Amino acid sequence: MKNIIAKIVVVAGLIVLSATAALAHSPLCSCFDNGDGTVLCEGGFSDGSSASGVKIYVRGDSGAVILKGAMNENSEFEFNKPAGHYTVTFDGGEGHSIEIDGSDIVE
Amino acid sequence: MKMKVVFLNLLLVVAMAVPASAHFQMIYTPEIAKTKGAETDLKLVFTHPYEAGHTMKMGMPEEFFMLHQKGEEGKTKKYDLKKLLKPITWTSLTNSGEAYEAKLPKKIVRSMGDYTLVLVPAPYYEGEEEIYIQQITKTYMNVGGLPGNWAAPAGLKTEWIPLVKPYAMWTGMTFKAQLLSDGKPVPNADVEVEYMNHEPDMKNNAFKKEAKSEAPHDAFVTMGVKTDAQGYVTFAIPKAGWWGFCALGSGPDKEFKGKELSQDAVIWIKAVDM
Repeated sequence: MKNIIAKIVVVAGLIVLSATAALAHSPLCSCFDNGDGTVLCEGGFSDGSSASGVKIYVRGDSGAVILKGAMNENSEFEFNKPAGHYTVTFDGGEGHSIEIDGSDIVE
Repeated sequence: MKMKVVFLNLLLVVAMAVPASAHFQMIYTPEIAKTKGAETDLKLVFTHPYEAGHTMKMGMPEEFFMLHQKGEEGKTKKYDLKKLLKPITWTSLTNSGEAYEAKLPKKIVRSMGDYTLVLVPAPYYEGEEEIYIQQITKTYMNVGGLPGNWAAPAGLKTEWIPLVKPYAMWTGMTFKAQLLSDGKPVPNADVEVEYMNHEPDMKNNAFKKEAKSEAPHDAFVTMGVKTDAQGYVTFAIPKAGWWGFCALGSGPDKEFKGKELSQDAVIWIKAVDM
């Protein structure tokens, strides 16, 4: 019984800790048109931490994913600019996602 | 004859009554917290900012550069801005003086992160005091809210290291910074603080005539604070706008061309109202 209580306390503690960490920073992402047919997106978090490995989705007009990848070690993701309307999603997990409309991505 | 003496005495009294405002090297651009990267106009002016007073003639700076860092783990990139400098004439409320401007292209102010602007001016000869003054000056910009190297030393002979994000100050917040000389803290240093009381007019290279505040006493024109035993100052910002902090003679170099040199450290921060 003591063991179970100890486990519950540890798990509860971990939940509280992870919840605090999730609230402590906000996601940041910015994309620009390189002017040569490519788009560069860069990301990070408001505490200065890296966005390396954060998933990126590029969706076409229908909402279907046409490209997916992840931020590199420099917190960057570069892709060929799709024809027509598109959106970019920086998927930093629940409450940490950002969607950028292609029409806002300029040189 | 008597009248002439009286008049000369009066003139002397009036001249001495002019408030003693402090020299401040400025690096100015209107907006330092940028949502997106953009072409950025900078003005470099050596003047007396509270009163928009006498503007001194600047020589070609020894160094003018920018350090950019995206995220705390990012690599610091250095951009030499000296080649972008163009001479201008800056008009204060009392005179005109030679200053510089630079237009930073968007391609170098595009990424998110911190941008530290660093100016090492040529020493200025102050004839009345027979000394040279060299104010090593820093100010900051940020794009997109992603922090970078704002708290890192730029490796200057003397400089301020902010402990509060210098581009994200609400009015009323307390600014804290540490003064370094050759990388070591400077205790008990004299620091002058001035408010940029006349907004710079970027288009006309001049200070606007309207003042934002009125000093009730000369001591409020240039405020005095001292660094503590570890070289820190703290200062609560009472009004929105630009605030300059100048540590007098904090640098290691004490002589230039056979004359005394005051090598000062200047930092500019901007506060905005909530």
